[in-house]
Amino acid sequence: MKHLIPEFERWKARYPAGFEGSLTIPCLRRIQEDRGYIADSDITELVDYLGIPRIQVDEAIAFYTQFTRKPLGKHHLQVCRNVSCSLRGADGLVAYLRQRLGIGPGETTADGQFTLTLVECLASCGTAPMMMVGDAYHETLTPASVDALLDELAR
Amino acid sequence: MMDFSIDGVPMQAEDGQTVIQAARANGVDIPHFCWHPELSVPGNCRICMVEIEQEGGEPWFDIACNMPVTPGMRVLLNSDKVKKLRKDTMQFITLNHPVDCGICNKSGECTLQDYHYEHNGAASLSRDTKTHATKFFPLSERIMLDNERCIMCTLCVRFTHEVSRSHALGAVNRGDHALIRPAEDADFNNDQYSDNVIDLCPVGALLSRELLDHARVWYLQATPSVCPGCERGCTVNIWHRKHEWKLNALDPRLNTRIDRMTPLANPAVNGSWVCNKARDLAHLFERDRAVQTLVNGVPTDASAGIAEAARLIASARRPVALVSSWGSNEELAAFHATLADRFTCFVKADHLPMPGETLEDHLLIKPDKNPNRRGALALFPETAPAAIAPETDLLLVWGEGMPQAAIPSGTKVIRLDAYAHPDHALADVFIPISIQTERAGHYTNFEGTVSPFSAAFTVKPAIVHAEDLFAAVRAALDPAAASMVAVRGT
Amino acid sequence: MTETAPTAAPLSGTKFFMNFPVTATSHLLAEYRARGGYQALEKALRNMQPAEVTKEVAAAGLLGHGGAAFPAGRKWGVIKLDDGAPHYVCMNADEGEPGTFKDRWLMEHVPHMCLEGLIIGSYALMGRHAFIYIRGEFDLSHRRMAAAIEEAYDAGLLGENILGTGYSCDVVLYRGAGSYVCGEASAMLASLEGKKGWPRNRPPRLTVKGLYQKPTVVNNVETLANVPVIIARGATEFKKVGTPKSPGTQMISISGHIARPGVYEVEYGYSWQKFLFEVCGGMQDGAQLKCIIPGGVSTKLLSAKEIEPLTLDHNSALAGGSQLGSGGMIAIAEGTCMVRLASVIQRFYHHESCGQCTPCREGMGWMERILNRIVAGGGRPEDIDRLYQISEANDGTTICSLGDSAGYACSAILDHYREEFEYYITHGHSMFDGRLTVTDPFAGALAITGARA
Repeated sequence: MKHLIPEFERWKARYPAGFEGSLTIPCLRRIQEDRGYIADSDITELVDYLGIPRIQVDEAIAFYTQFTRKPLGKHHLQVCRNVSCSLRGADGLVAYLRQRLGIGPGETTADGQFTLTLVECLASCGTAPMMMVGDAYHETLTPASVDALLDELAR
Repeated sequence: MMDFSIDGVPMQAEDGQTVIQAARANGVDIPHFCWHPELSVPGNCRICMVEIEQEGGEPWFDIACNMPVTPGMRVLLNSDKVKKLRKDTMQFITLNHPVDCGICNKSGECTLQDYHYEHNGAASLSRDTKTHATKFFPLSERIMLDNERCIMCTLCVRFTHEVSRSHALGAVNRGDHALIRPAEDADFNNDQYSDNVIDLCPVGALLSRELLDHARVWYLQATPSVCPGCERGCTVNIWHRKHEWKLNALDPRLNTRIDRMTPLANPAVNGSWVCNKARDLAHLFERDRAVQTLVNGVPTDASAGIAEAARLIASARRPVALVSSWGSNEELAAFHATLADRFTCFVKADHLPMPGETLEDHLLIKPDKNPNRRGALALFPETAPAAIAPETDLLLVWGEGMPQAAIPSGTKVIRLDAYAHPDHALADVFIPISIQTERAGHYTNFEGTVSPFSAAFTVKPAIVHAEDLFAAVRAALDPAAASMVAVRGT
Repeated sequence: MTETAPTAAPLSGTKFFMNFPVTATSHLLAEYRARGGYQALEKALRNMQPAEVTKEVAAAGLLGHGGAAFPAGRKWGVIKLDDGAPHYVCMNADEGEPGTFKDRWLMEHVPHMCLEGLIIGSYALMGRHAFIYIRGEFDLSHRRMAAAIEEAYDAGLLGENILGTGYSCDVVLYRGAGSYVCGEASAMLASLEGKKGWPRNRPPRLTVKGLYQKPTVVNNVETLANVPVIIARGATEFKKVGTPKSPGTQMISISGHIARPGVYEVEYGYSWQKFLFEVCGGMQDGAQLKCIIPGGVSTKLLSAKEIEPLTLDHNSALAGGSQLGSGGMIAIAEGTCMVRLASVIQRFYHHESCGQCTPCREGMGWMERILNRIVAGGGRPEDIDRLYQISEANDGTTICSLGDSAGYACSAILDHYREEFEYYITHGHSMFDGRLTVTDPFAGALAITGARA
């Protein structure tokens, strides 16, 4: 984490004084972006850096669904299964991904390429069914577009 | 001040008081799990919902713990709707609670149990499997957590943030998967007030690992006492077996042991809390006791010891007395009235801080680890010097904290002590005395607050109360008064 | 990267936001300025006192667009400008209400309009710092807002001495990390303080004790995006659009079994029927409309018949027995299994319940377990009553409205489609074929027919 501190310091400049604790979530996001997950050592160092109680970080990581303390597959497929996506075939999309990848939700392919996660509404309801791969939205999915996407990602 | 009412009964509230505070000040206890007078108000348990009658409008409902009283407010605590809300809330709270009262240590003093009978009294409406969570989770080296019993009131979490300031506990995950957890750096082990969360817990989720399955609370009674662990003198309850539930078949020591220690709420001294040292007083009090009077190391009875002590005092030219800072005000006064004029008196620290022990902190812990130094100094203003003057020909050592090795070799020694120690056999006279839990008395804490303690246990026959002993020695020195004094246990 | 293009079906009436062609550069500062952007900010800073700005917004009757439709001007008016405390304005861009995706559109396509509204709002409340709390999952929105903020700093529209007027304001763009409940204002502020997003009780109101205990106003993206229009054109002109009680326009995001899903800007008072069947092209693949979830799953659904007389404004929706909410409209076709739909909705509320207060923490899972059991064929006769009971026991009894919303959603489905539940419980299967789709794009591609997640 320590190499990210100069970046964190730049962020601080726009916050009012006394808002150090606020940086918890942005720092955790950045750490995860950097490493792919949040390691134990990151937490220890962040607690030291921000001067906040350790439990605040433990609570935040456990509360927000985007944080992970375990490495995920190279590509994290997050499939929305909320109302609008369900009305447009999210169940079929999940079943198709299971079939293609040979894994269920919460699992990672043996080659470490893909992790499949089911999530709630990603506010892409008008372009359902959809999934998020990494940070990017892939919308109005069909078997053909899923095939093309997975092939491209696996390359 | 303003007028308001609860269920039609007129009451007065102070400005800024919430409904639950004002009700309490008027003797009405509104049910609550998550509220505590000394902690912040999260309003999460929702059992304190009350109805507010509105002039010509729909009534509204809110939680009593977070709602300020307004002038003329008409609070209903027992309307049909409020009763239903409480019943609904109890259904929710017991939904995933295991209701394993039969094997739960909290049984008998559990808020959930009490409220269930009072406000619900019905079987669960759920026919689905309860959610399962961690059982026997080691929250710290001292405390066990049963997450299934936990109702997420967060009293324990707030305690560590607001009172002990260890910030060691938190709530992780969400919804009905939310769990109380310690910070992963295990700081709760270092929280010297951790055991207060056991008392705070309204259910059986937080239990002392040491006292797990130790005793059912309905067999116990509480004797008010004062913690001797430092000069704060926190008021405590000593829990021990009720006489009517005396065990006749098992180890008889079970009848006279300290089963647990809890704080005795006292705004003047310790508020609602005590530190873990007070929780562990059983270890301090239940050390091996001295039970035998010795003269020159030879067992004898107390009257022989008293006679020999009187003889030594009578013949001494430069006698010094080290007065115990664990003596009660009554004992100190008795010494002052009987023997003090025969000695040059100094107040002694019976206990010094243990290696690694916290000297002082933001909350309760004070540096002097003796309960009554201030009371002792009030009568004997001199603090004991670092070394005993060599010309001292007689030294009276009352209590612990003066090893034989620190006494000049030519000095005669009279020792009064409650706990077994090899030095006793080296004294010219040794007489075993009672401890705090065997007698009543008062301590004066560092701020001058005087707190009483009562006797929880009876004293063993061979042991003498110091207060009686001083009078007996005085009588032996002054035979005219002898007939007026009866020495117990001789 | 797929971007949400506005489904540009022409609507009669005025547009405040969707009144320009979306191109690869239309979100940039230069183009926004070419369309008249930041003139309102300049007008406010140069010609108006902070209190006058609030007065104008109040006079315009601007309603909150986050769901509760609380008048924005009244919210701002609570802040005491002379109390000596810092005041914070926080843009609520944590758009998470299922069915709602209009704030995403605004941030992706008119980020500067959102930002301009925020700066004007901050000026009105004499704030030195303003915040944008953006949903953690929103990557493109985040990048567009971040770029807009940097452009604004570079152009002297943010930072010290804005446009040489002496007013200074810094904007912090804060990205969440995945939590629906953080869309609730007090939970959002807890999150902005770097903590888990647990809502808190009122009193005190956030306008009294908000972010770091300081007076704070939280406004939805769309609400703030309306502010430049109001300042530029004046309250009187603004009120000419929409209905007297719902002035202006509403961004409606529509999804589900609709032919042309997407984001539409609709003048308040527009016919609901016309919107669905003309503007949005009617139902998907010739299906029949069964019911509408009007403004995010937290609003009570309305049957096809119920919406017939209604118009798209708050009073009409209220009269019809629901709310416009966040404008997240979901169309549901005949033949959709409402029991399964209820279980999908309830799974969401269970997943997002923060775990803090009793009725929601316990009730959400309880409801989901009952619904899942019914769906699995193990329904019991008392289940329907129990669902109503849990819903009712969450109504007004919790810290935030997540529990209430779940109850409204579930009881509205039960009110309308009780017979589907009774059928499912009695027979152990759906009254229909149990499908949620009109057309399942994956149906033919699955090796095992009917394989389901």
